[in-house]
Amino acid sequence: MTSIEVNHISKSFGTVKALDDVSLSVNRSEVFGLIGPDGAGKTTLFRLLCTLLLADSGEAKVDGFDVVTQMSEIRKRLGYMPGKFSLYEDLTVRENLEFFATLFGTTVDAGYDTIKAIYSQIERFSNRKAGALSGGMKQKLALSCALVHQPSVLILDEPTTGVDPVSRKELWEMLGTLKDHNITIVAATPYLDEVRRCERVAFLHNGRIQGIGSPTEILTQFAHIFNPPRIDRGANNEAESIVQSSSNENVIEVQHLVKAFGTFHAVDDISFTVKKGEIFGFLGANRAGKTTAMHMLTGLNQPTSGTGKVAGFDIRTQHELIKQHIGYMSQRFSLYSDLTVAENIRLFAGIYGMDDDVIARKTDQLLERLQFAEHRNDLVGSLPLGWKQKLAFSVSIFHEPSIVFLDEPTGGVDPATRRQFWELIYEAAQHGITVFVTTHYMDEAEYCDRISIMVDGKISAIGTPDELKSLYGFQNIDQVFTHLARQATRSSD
Amino acid sequence: MKEFISFVIKESKHILRDRRTMLILFGMPIVLMLLFGFAITTDVRNVRVVVVTSSIDHLTHRAIVRLSASEYFNITTTVPTPSEAEQLIRSQKADMAIVFGKDFAANNGRLQFIVDGSDPNMAQQWCSYATQTLALDELSGNKNNYLKTSPINIKMLYNPQMKSAYNFVPAIMGMLLMLICAMMTSISIVREKEKGTMEVLLVSPVKPLMIIIAKAVPYFILALVILCTILLMSRFVLDVPLQGSVFWIVIVSLIYILLALSLGLLISNVAETQLVALLLSAMVLLMPIVMLSGMLFPIESMPKFLQWISAIVPPRYYIAAMRKLMIMGVGISEVMHEVVILSIMTAVLLTLALVKFNKRLEH
Amino acid sequence: MIKYLLQKEVLQIRRNAFLPRLIVIFPIMVMCVLPWVMSMEVKNIVVDIVDNDHSVISQQLVHKIESSNYFIFHGQPASYSEALSNIEHSKSDVVIVIPPHYSRDLTTGNVPQVLIAANAVNGTKGAMGASYLSKIVTSHVNPNIEAILSRITTLNLYNKHQNYKLYMIPALLAIVMMLMCGFLPALNIVGEKEAGTIEQINVTPVPKWAFIMAKLIPYWIIALFVVTVCLLLAWGIYGITCKGNLVLIYLMAMLLALFFSSLGLIISNYSDTMQQAIFVMWFFVVILLLLSGLFTPTRSMPSWAYLTTYVNPMHYFIDAVRTVFIKGGRLHDINYQVTALASLTSVMAIWAVLSYKKNK
Repeated sequence: MTSIEVNHISKSFGTVKALDDVSLSVNRSEVFGLIGPDGAGKTTLFRLLCTLLLADSGEAKVDGFDVVTQMSEIRKRLGYMPGKFSLYEDLTVRENLEFFATLFGTTVDAGYDTIKAIYSQIERFSNRKAGALSGGMKQKLALSCALVHQPSVLILDEPTTGVDPVSRKELWEMLGTLKDHNITIVAATPYLDEVRRCERVAFLHNGRIQGIGSPTEILTQFAHIFNPPRIDRGANNEAESIVQSSSNENVIEVQHLVKAFGTFHAVDDISFTVKKGEIFGFLGANRAGKTTAMHMLTGLNQPTSGTGKVAGFDIRTQHELIKQHIGYMSQRFSLYSDLTVAENIRLFAGIYGMDDDVIARKTDQLLERLQFAEHRNDLVGSLPLGWKQKLAFSVSIFHEPSIVFLDEPTGGVDPATRRQFWELIYEAAQHGITVFVTTHYMDEAEYCDRISIMVDGKISAIGTPDELKSLYGFQNIDQVFTHLARQATRSSD
Repeated sequence: MKEFISFVIKESKHILRDRRTMLILFGMPIVLMLLFGFAITTDVRNVRVVVVTSSIDHLTHRAIVRLSASEYFNITTTVPTPSEAEQLIRSQKADMAIVFGKDFAANNGRLQFIVDGSDPNMAQQWCSYATQTLALDELSGNKNNYLKTSPINIKMLYNPQMKSAYNFVPAIMGMLLMLICAMMTSISIVREKEKGTMEVLLVSPVKPLMIIIAKAVPYFILALVILCTILLMSRFVLDVPLQGSVFWIVIVSLIYILLALSLGLLISNVAETQLVALLLSAMVLLMPIVMLSGMLFPIESMPKFLQWISAIVPPRYYIAAMRKLMIMGVGISEVMHEVVILSIMTAVLLTLALVKFNKRLEH
Repeated sequence: MIKYLLQKEVLQIRRNAFLPRLIVIFPIMVMCVLPWVMSMEVKNIVVDIVDNDHSVISQQLVHKIESSNYFIFHGQPASYSEALSNIEHSKSDVVIVIPPHYSRDLTTGNVPQVLIAANAVNGTKGAMGASYLSKIVTSHVNPNIEAILSRITTLNLYNKHQNYKLYMIPALLAIVMMLMCGFLPALNIVGEKEAGTIEQINVTPVPKWAFIMAKLIPYWIIALFVVTVCLLLAWGIYGITCKGNLVLIYLMAMLLALFFSSLGLIISNYSDTMQQAIFVMWFFVVILLLLSGLFTPTRSMPSWAYLTTYVNPMHYFIDAVRTVFIKGGRLHDINYQVTALASLTSVMAIWAVLSYKKNK
């Protein structure tokens, strides 16, 4: 039995063809994945199915109803979770859920069975404002809201972007249980482990379906995009050995660092060191305190107590000096989208006191290397996400800082682009730049020289990936992380 | 109906939880009312006068005493020549100078007022007050009893104490109700578009019309609360009497609030971001309301062309109607003209807003 | 370093689809429309005359009023109550009632009692209408008075043609600058906060003052441009030029622009959302404007309200600019205002720099 049928759908925005003759069908209670790079047309397709957009040509049926003529029938049977958090941040968890329940003419109690598996995890925060929840909990709540009216079709647009691995796993385990309720799930995701959880996937690229099949089929067929070969650090080994032999110099030294907001200790007594030229992975679940710690190291926040030195300067008193010696790229995209590529480079280089002719020369070199020269005068806002991130990283090391801080630099980026991104990171490390990076991708964690895992504001493990794996007796970092993160108690405060 | 109520409750929570905005929403009417009621007046008072005379005799002396006794004038200094007085006026040390002619008392002397004419209205009023203070009594030298009693009996209708609050209370109502209803409604809808929650609302089986109406209801109530605040304040704090029937004042206000809400809905259909909605409300709504509604500046002194434009500015009719109903205390039949125009405008705008509301994301 | 930051700000303003147009069109619109609107001139007072005497002399008075340019003669209703209902219907503004025996009283030397009743909902209009009418009546009752009044001459300094537009154009300058230099910077920093780019700037070694200056200077240039446009339009459309030294006008304008852009930045430093920033800004703008003496004389305010004018930059600006523009005042005439505005402005500028926190 088919639940969703799409026949020859095309949709253009101006001159851009977002969807080009797309056809697919999804069976009842199937878990169907929609994958493809940023801008492939996934969101457009979802919006068409949700009756939010009208197609230029072709037709689509959801649960047997036509998306154009039987709009109201579909809207009764559909659960939809858009890419952005679709919650009211100033309402509490309970209020959000009740509101969405009433919206669909039902009550929380009536739909409780369907959402129980998910909602029970956040139920104890039911009086907390949704805006104060961590990314993972927000997504659980959003999912509960989309499910409370027991829809027969659930559409999820990248539901796990910015969510830590443990929460992601939990979320997908819950999605698995929905099969018993006969709910069809269509989801888009950039994570390969999530793709593998789907029964069938469709690969969408430039508005066209490139292939539909089981995850393994699609991932093998398009391996060059989804499963790029592991980065070869051959070239790097040399550099690594140089670094290791040449210096045991610490560029970051932190002792007993604490940051408290009221009684809440976001960072609770952490101590660690990072050596020059290292790639240091700073891992932790949502709300474990990573970003706060990073803000203290980069001089955005004052520590409550404890000491630290970055590039030889005290983080408490010499934060403006630190800023001259570091680069930073934040979670949220951090270039000016209304300036062109070259203008952004020029601005940030200028801020670090570089001369005009040096800037001009290095800009040419950089754009050449990134094969970006033709986009020199494009507005940054018009670039695809992956390019923006590569550019932002290049800008953050443009002034040759001794350390660069990267806060979830690859969130929402597809595998191929992520790989290119990491090549840039290795290149920077080769040049002696220390890289301090946070990420939710555990495959990226394996790329690091050393990693630390933060749980509840404390560092619960630190060492090379191999050391940690053997210490805890697991195959990969993902398992180590899951093991440690599940010990967290913080979310219950 | 249950959906509807839960919608309204949700919307009210949004409003109540944004403390700073709430503070401004209620602080604004109160501050405005107090300012217009107590601080701002167009009265003539404390005019700084320079006396120009070469010699002080009994008549000039008496004139000076009389002037300084009046609440209108403060004598700041005495100078011998008019050019010195002029210099004082130029450097804003004085507003007007009174020049007594040579040997004033002896030969039925002449008198000259030198005024700072920058503000023509004020200059005119200063002169006529000074004339009244000085001329009628002093210049006649008390020879003529005939003038002891004035032949004129002036009666200021509706506003015997000449308070500017009488004129401004209806204007403040017109401005604030429009601003709160139109601006706040449009922003709150556009914010949902921006945050992405609108997508989820649209995907739900709830009728779009209901989403919109439910959004408007809390602002409707808020507007009513503010209306009451203004009316109560004007009655008990500013002592502006509510001459007309409160019933009709409220009814006409309701029509006007409805009109403002429809305008807000229209704006929210056009605007895609909060910034645009804000600027649209500020530029397209606020400016014409303040300038062309007769709130501050009388419409009849404008050139014809602008008078035509002001004919489509809704607050114009509301403010006119309120001035008549509240201050003059006339019956509803006297403001039928305004009420009919307001009702037609409301009907047109509301229909437009509802027809144009997008059930999908694109137009 | 500040060069690059400035370039960025200028580019961002230029790239914005809306701002450049706003910066050009807004002052033009204001200068073309508002001088016509913002006239407090009392015109078109409609008068009704109730003549209860019906004598030749009373009709003389009626003709005298009818022929005055100041009034629009509406009619001669039969009774006072009929005239009142005309006022209620907004058909007329003032009623004058000539008592019975008006001519007899005049000849016997008694003082007749003429009643003037004015609709005073709009206080100024009522008062001015009534005072004009009483002048006419007084001189009719007692022709001697004319002789007495003729001994009083009035010399209007400066605004000789009693041109209300001349009075209002400095005020318009103030309003335009306040809106342009107040609201745009207020939105600016909050905008960067909402976009997240401010965090990127905060981890760079940019000194606070450089960042704030780079934000202020563009608005300074905008203010310069806006003032120039306004002055040119005033000359082109209304033939109104500045009596005093233009340099002084620019000096005051620069100070005021700096004040308001600093205020805007301070507000946006403390606000989380654009809506908040706009509302708070609006609140301050309205209060500063109403208490500045732009529309109403500050000296008539009660003393507590008058005290606030000492910290009101608009008040100093308006006083000084009117002095220079209308009266042709020189620097020493406005010394006090310049000093006061400059000190207020430097306090705000310092506050703007201090309130911007790179390290919490």
